[in-house]
Amino acid sequence: MPVRHLCLALLLALLPAAGAFAQHEQHSPQEPSHHGDTIAPAHGADTAAHADAAHADAHAPAAGAAHEAPKPADVIMHHVLDNHDWHITDYPAGKDASGHTVYKGLALHLPWILYSSRDGLVFSGDAHGLLERGYAVYHDHAYALKPGAEVAEHVDAHGTLHMDKEHWAHFQEEHIDKSVTLLDFSITKTSFQMLLVAVVMLIVFSAVARAYKRNPTGAPKGIQSMFEPFVVFIRDEIAKPYLRDRYAPFLPYLLTLFFFIWFSNLLGLMPFNSNIAGNISVTAALAVLSFLIINFNGSRDYWKHIFAPPGVPSALRFTLMPVVEVIGVFTKPFALMIRLFANITAGHFMVLSLVSLIFILGKNGESLGGALGALPLSLIFTFAIFFLEMIVALIQAYIFTLLTAVFLGMAMESHDHDHGHAHGQDAAHEHAHGGAAH
Amino acid sequence: METIGIMGAGIGAGLAAIGAGMGIGRLAASSVESMARQPEASGDIRGAMILTAAFIEGVALLGEVVCLLIVFLK
Repeated sequence: MPVRHLCLALLLALLPAAGAFAQHEQHSPQEPSHHGDTIAPAHGADTAAHADAAHADAHAPAAGAAHEAPKPADVIMHHVLDNHDWHITDYPAGKDASGHTVYKGLALHLPWILYSSRDGLVFSGDAHGLLERGYAVYHDHAYALKPGAEVAEHVDAHGTLHMDKEHWAHFQEEHIDKSVTLLDFSITKTSFQMLLVAVVMLIVFSAVARAYKRNPTGAPKGIQSMFEPFVVFIRDEIAKPYLRDRYAPFLPYLLTLFFFIWFSNLLGLMPFNSNIAGNISVTAALAVLSFLIINFNGSRDYWKHIFAPPGVPSALRFTLMPVVEVIGVFTKPFALMIRLFANITAGHFMVLSLVSLIFILGKNGESLGGALGALPLSLIFTFAIFFLEMIVALIQAYIFTLLTAVFLGMAMESHDHDHGHAHGQDAAHEHAHGGAAH
Repeated sequence: METIGIMGAGIGAGLAAIGAGMGIGRLAASSVESMARQPEASGDIRGAMILTAAFIEGVALLGEVVCLLIVFLK
């Protein structure tokens, strides 16, 4: 019981903590001195300019949809890439003086946490706060400004720099302090959603574990009966065949891997959510974990097979083979990383491209016929791909777990060297070596 | 020049897909055949099939990612 309460409290504490940074994306012109009270007096001149910028931009960059058509590629990339805002949607919020619709963004501003070699830890709720501390945001990256840099004219309503690429090159020379090292530890959209997945998993699996504690011998019921088949499957079909009698200590890792990847893939398929495993940093972290576990549990024979493979002519044994095998040590986790990343990203690309068909053929609302013609096509294809992606979400979680177990099993294996050629013993061995060659 | 680069990326993505399709197609054909011959071994065959398909797919995806990088880093 207390565990469940703790989890719920955690979940509840997490949401408002992030929600505290939620603001309206756009500052309406009626409140131009939005942060006039927080800005330092020395920047008084900035404030006025800033307000002007906010006013001028009320229908320029964010509401660009009213004037210039958004490119599908940009929309798709914006969705697929990590971001410091959890942008949910834009909604029309009245018209400006010239009759153009002004759009407001519904977004959750996630906190910026930077480590700077100049100021130490820099913490800010949004890009405006960063500006006050001497850092500017351009295309979701933070840059340190030179002391006293006057940048207000380039700042849009979001507090980020807004200019095209040619200006940016010039701007960098003039205002960006390149001697400052910036490390970005921000809780971004992806990391925020990873925390969400962690909390969901904590709640679900502590409930399942409690059910087993309460009723260790009886038939599973409730949420327990949903997850038992998966846990048993991982144990009997993945852990036991490949790790043999040493599977027990690695089962928790394999289960965590499987359920984390599966849950985050499914969460990514839900509306408004980001693709967690479609971020290469996430899959890289998972692959590094697998890499460490595989290599720290490598048996003597594993290392012997790498640095002095038996059954190989001695001319190759200490020259070419160690090179190939050492590369193989790294390609295995590298392939894990790329496979998961590319599968999930490709799925999101496909779904979004098919949805974009409506906007491409409908010419962004100018051609109703085109949009209506593309609608059934797009709907059917999206529907099909979406269900495919739900299967892929499960299969990729399975494959990542399976391959980790296969590689781990290979590394832990001790050979009795009564056979001349140590390779090709079992299917797993064979395949994994095939994989290493890729 | 840039257009040719993007065209190359498109052709490369297509070739990677063809390679993966041929590979997984042959794999699936022979696995299904083996399963039909020996239905009692289907479980093992399916496991080996998925594992191998993952490796084939891994190479294809590597190709696709390279093509994507060509487009994005143009």
